[in-house]
Formats: sequence, structure tokens, C-alpha cells
Amino acid sequence: MTAPAIAPAHRGGLPFATAAAQSPASSSVQASTAAAGPALARVRDLRVRYSADEPLVLDGVDLDLFRGETVALLGSSGSGKSTLMKALTGFAPITDGTAQVAGFDVAGLPQRRMRALRVQVGQVFQQFNLVGRLSVLTNVLTGSLHRAGAANLLGTFRSADRARALDLLDRVGIAHKAGAEARSLSGGQQQRVAIARALMQDPQLILADEPVASLDPRMSHTVLELLRSIAREEQIPVLVSLHVLPLALEHADRIIGLRHGQVVVSGDAADLDADALAPVYDTEEEAE
Amino acid sequence: MTGTATASRTSAPQLDERDRARMERAFRLPRARVGMSAVAAVVLFVWSANGAQFDFLKLGEGAANMGEFLGRMFPPDFSKIGLILSLLLETLQMAVVGTVIGAVLSLVVAFGAASNIAPVWLYYPCRWTMNVIRALPDLVIALMFVSAVGLGPFAGILAMTVGSIGSIGKVFAEAMEAVDRGPVTAMESVGASKRQIIQYAIVPQALPMLTSYTLLLFEGNIRGATILGLVGAGGIGLELTTAMNRYEYGHLSAMVLCIIVLVTIIDQLSALIRRKIT
Repeated sequence: MTAPAIAPAHRGGLPFATAAAQSPASSSVQASTAAAGPALARVRDLRVRYSADEPLVLDGVDLDLFRGETVALLGSSGSGKSTLMKALTGFAPITDGTAQVAGFDVAGLPQRRMRALRVQVGQVFQQFNLVGRLSVLTNVLTGSLHRAGAANLLGTFRSADRARALDLLDRVGIAHKAGAEARSLSGGQQQRVAIARALMQDPQLILADEPVASLDPRMSHTVLELLRSIAREEQIPVLVSLHVLPLALEHADRIIGLRHGQVVVSGDAADLDADALAPVYDTEEEAE
Repeated sequence: MTGTATASRTSAPQLDERDRARMERAFRLPRARVGMSAVAAVVLFVWSANGAQFDFLKLGEGAANMGEFLGRMFPPDFSKIGLILSLLLETLQMAVVGTVIGAVLSLVVAFGAASNIAPVWLYYPCRWTMNVIRALPDLVIALMFVSAVGLGPFAGILAMTVGSIGSIGKVFAEAMEAVDRGPVTAMESVGASKRQIIQYAIVPQALPMLTSYTLLLFEGNIRGATILGLVGAGGIGLELTTAMNRYEYGHLSAMVLCIIVLVTIIDQLSALIRRKIT
């Protein structure tokens, strides 16, 4: 894949985004991402419609994700953030356009090969989606199911994977809870377990769909900082959808604003502010 | 901010004034369709009660006879306590084996009958199989196995096992259908196979329900084993029938009291296990 390090793209000709994204001098992150190599995810003119009699949920979205960067996806409810994440992993039907993710052409990928794609993409969810009755360690180990082998039928995992899972729990700061049932953890702790599970896949990129929507402000900062450090240290892109503008400005390298399924703002977080991102929201009230 | 919020509220779709007035009323007459449904339910009940010759007056008139029958059962006669205990033990053993095999087979069929697991070509045959088994009376199933393997507890165990698939298989399937979708999505997202999704997302979530239903099945099988004995399929049922036919009411009441004690102990143990697993 020889994807050029193109500017965060949009087709609509948008006020701030155009200036910010297309000016090389204005985008240090863009320069660094360009140096980091080809895009791990490359989306062009993506359109998604769930059924023929419904309007487009995504309407001509362009997106590139590069190694080591944290990209915040901003937008109000129904703007298409979750659908974009689903489309990148084959959970939403691609009506038109292309989406190349971790070397897979998602649009043309047969259903039987979707598993191979999903193994490459770590996902973090708003509601954590842990199995509450299983231990924290087992929840993390499920990230290695694709390589667990037949012995896993008896619920066993390889020693190397168990050691790696414990290391990851240590990394996200909850190794001491490894033996506890996942449901006994706080929301912030559960989300960190979910992040460790995603890392257990050894993913090429991470998609986090509103990972802090259920967390208090302090824990939101902790989780987002963790995701950003993972992006930098593992040199993988992290795409994180958010509702709260200040969190995006503080924790993302780049921000993409969606409205009614279209990219309306795109640029480096350092170059954006609330006024520049106002087009993302229908009203001033929502942006606050 | 306040002005914006106010503007936003006033521009939002408004609740119809009549609906608002109705919702504000402390007491509301039920909507027409609710009232009609209630009337239809009452009519159905009265029609069914008449058809089934349900009569409270008749019960009142017969209360004296019932009292006389119960009076004959006292005092209980424990002179054959050894026989009673051995038959109860056999009943318990039948229920244990019938429940274990029945629960395992029910789980297998339930995987095929859960819409979030099984493909359509497997789902409907499994559901139909369970419906057919459920429609067959337990005594008919027991007679079928008595004629196949002869009198004795083995026929009773087979009857319990097959009967379990019809009853508990359905609730097993529904317990698995009712699991939270989130962990299933998470397993799909990590690239888990279908078997792994069942193993790590569906079964762990459904396990408390599966265990609870299995315990319920066990309690039901204890009671069921006392009935199956009536057709010679082992257990204490045959001795119960014999005692009634011989008017040995003291012996009968001793057996009934022992069954009550056994069922109570099992109920308490089941409650303890349920508390542990939920």
C-alpha cells in the first residue's frame, strides 16, 4: 500500500479545515505523521446507508490514519461517528467508496475474511463490553482468541499470552485486579481492561467509540491519556470518537468533525479552537 | 446560555395539548384498547372456567369429604421407613441422572434453538423438536420407555431425560438469546470464532440462568419421579399408588411427609447454590 501522507481530507470545501490541513507549515503533526509512513487506514468517499429507504448515514467521508497519532472524531449524536467506526471493521455496510484498513479492502472483503481484518483492529467501546462474570485476566486474554488454538476449547490460554496479558494489565495500572471478576471494577477500571484487551490483539490500529462517555471527568482524562500514550509508544493510530470538545483539544493530535455524515472540520488539534469547531454542532449549546 | 437553551426548548417539537392534559391528570381512564383487552381477558376466563366445570360451591360442599380423607392419613405410619427411604433414594438417584443427562442434551439442543447462535436451517428443526416433546405427556413418554426397556428406574430416567429437552431446552435457548449484546460484539471485534463467542460471551452470561433452570429441573424431576412410578418407571410412585389402593393411609402419609422433607431440603440447597452463582 503506497498511500501518500495526504492532508486530513474533506470534500465539502470547509472554512478552517482547508487552511489548516493543506498548509504544510501549519501542521507539525501532519509532517510527523507523513514521516511515520503510509496510512494504516485510508478511507475515500465513503458512503453508508443501512437500508435503501433510509438516508445516507455517511456521505462522502475521507480519512487517513497514520502511525503514532491520536485522532479525535467529533460530532453530535447521529452525526455518523459510530457508523464510521463500524464501517471500518465491517459491522456497517459500505454503500459506496473505499476503506482500506490494515491492508484489507473492507468494502470488497468477503464475510469469511472479516475475522482476519478484525484481529488487526483493537476496539474500545463506550460500555466497555466486558464479560462481567469472567475474571479481568480472562477478559484481557480474549484479545488473543484468534491465536489461542484448539486447547482453548477447554478454556486454556498459552503461558506466553497469559504473561503478556498480565504485562498489559500492569501497563494500564490494574494488574492487582487480575483475578477479580470484571463486574466488580469501577467504570474507569473496566475501560482500562477493555484497552488491555484491545492491545492483546497486537492491533495495527485502535478504534475507540466514545470510550469516556460513561466516565467521570477525571477518569476521562486518565483513559484518553492512556490511549494517546499507546498511540505514541506502540506507533499505531488511535481513532477516538468524543462528544466533549475540550477533551478532544487536549488529548488528540488531530480532530475530524462530522456533521450529518460529512466531514465539516479537519485539522491539527493545536490549530483548532471552539470557534473553528462550531460547524460540527447544530447549535452553540451542543458544542458546550 | 440560558437564552440559547430557552430558544432550543421552544423550537423543539411540542407535546400535544390534549396529551399533556391527559398525562397531568392524577387518575386516568384506561385507553379504549386497554379496556377492551381487559374485558376480553375476563370473558376468556369465564368461558374457560365454565368449560372446565370450575365451581367454588362444589369445592365448599366437598370440603367435609376432603377433611375426612386427610384425617385418615393421620397418624402417619413409619413402620416401613426402611422401604420408604430406599425408594426415596432411588427416586433421588433417578432425578440426579435424569437431570444431568437431560440438562446436557437440553443445552446441546438449546444451542440450535437460540436465534443469536444457530443458523435458520438448524433453528426451526430444534424448536419444532422441543415443541413436539413438550406436547407429549410425561406419562406417555414413560410408557413408551417402559415398553422399550421394561419396568424399572431406567425407563423413568429415559422419560425424564427426553421430557427435559422439551421443557428446559426452551428456557435454556431463551436464556442464551437474552444475554447482553455488548460482550458478543466485543468477541466479534477481536476476531473470535462462533464457538469462542459462545464460550466466552454467551455461556458465561447465561450461566446463572442455566444453573437456576437446571436446579428447577432437578426439583421438578424429583416430583416427576414420584409420578412416573405410577406406570412402573421406578421410584416411590408405585408404592404410593399401592398404598392408596390398599387404603394404607398411614403408610401413604409417611411417604408424603418424607417426600416433603426431601423436596424442602433440595429446595434449600438449590436456593443456596443460586445465591452463590448470581
